[in-house]
Amino acid sequence: MRRTYRHVYTQALRIVGDRHEAEDVAQEAYVRVFRGLAGFRGEAQFETWLYRIVANAAITYLRRKGRFGELSLDPEDEREEVAADVRVDEQATDRDVLSRALASLPVSLRAVVVLKDVYGMPHKEIAELLGTTEGAVKVRLHRARRRLKEELFGSEGRDEV
Amino acid sequence: MKCEEVRPLLADMAGGVSDRAAEVEDHLGSCAACSAELGRYRATMLQLSALREDLAEPPAGAVERALAQVPAWRWRLLARRAMVDERVRYAALSLGGVVVGAVAFGLIRRRAARRDVSVAITGGRA
Repeated sequence: MRRTYRHVYTQALRIVGDRHEAEDVAQEAYVRVFRGLAGFRGEAQFETWLYRIVANAAITYLRRKGRFGELSLDPEDEREEVAADVRVDEQATDRDVLSRALASLPVSLRAVVVLKDVYGMPHKEIAELLGTTEGAVKVRLHRARRRLKEELFGSEGRDEV
Repeated sequence: MKCEEVRPLLADMAGGVSDRAAEVEDHLGSCAACSAELGRYRATMLQLSALREDLAEPPAGAVERALAQVPAWRWRLLARRAMVDERVRYAALSLGGVVVGAVAFGLIRRRAARRDVSVAITGGRA
C-alpha cells in the first residue's frame, strides 16, 4: 500500500478536486482492491486494474455526495469562479498552471479529461463509468481540452475564428 | 476547408481521432495559424499525460489511517504476498519443511525411547 498510495491518492485528487475527499476515495479504493485481489488474475496490468478501481471509487463517491449531478450537467453553462485566477502567478510552471486549470474545470469535464488524457482510459469505459454515451464523453473531452489549451496558451486561437 | 471549419476539429486531431483527418491535414499544409493551433493542443495533451507521474503529496498520516481502517488488511496483504512473491513463498516452504522435519525427528526419538523403556522392564522377553 505504501508503494501505491501516492498514485492512488493523486488520481483521486485529480478527479474529486479536494484533498480530504481524495483521502476518503483512496481509502474506499483500497477496500475494493483488497476485496478484489483474489479475483485479480493478471490478465490486465496491475496498474491499469488499480486505476480503474480508483476511478470507480471516485465516481461512486461523487454520486454519493450528490455531486454526480454535476457530471450530467451541460458543462458549457458552468465555469467555476477560480478559473479566472489560473494564470495570476507568473512564476508558476506550465505544469502548475495546468494542474490549477484542471482543478478549476467543472467535475463533468475534469473527470473525463483526467480519465482519458491523463490515465488513458478508453472512451467506452469512461462512458460506462459515468453512465453516459461515448458521444457525450467525446463532446466533454473536446470542451475540456479547449479550455485547458486556452488556460495554458491564452484564447487567441479559439475555435470560433 | 476553411479555418473556421478546421478549428473545431483540432482538439480531436490532437487526440488522434478525427473522421476528417485527411481534409484537415490538407488545410494544415497551407495554414500556419491552424498548424500552430494544433501544436498548442498537442502540447496541452503532452503535459496532461505527464501529470500521471506528477504525484501529489498526501496529507500526513494518510497511509497509516488507511491501514488502521481495516487492520486485517496487513494479514491479507502478507498472505497475498506469500502467494505471489517467490522469495516469501520459498521462505515459507523452507520454514514449513524444517517444522515437519523437527516434528518427525521428535516422534522417532520418542518411539525409540519408549521401546528402550519397554525392553528394560520386560528384560527383552516378548
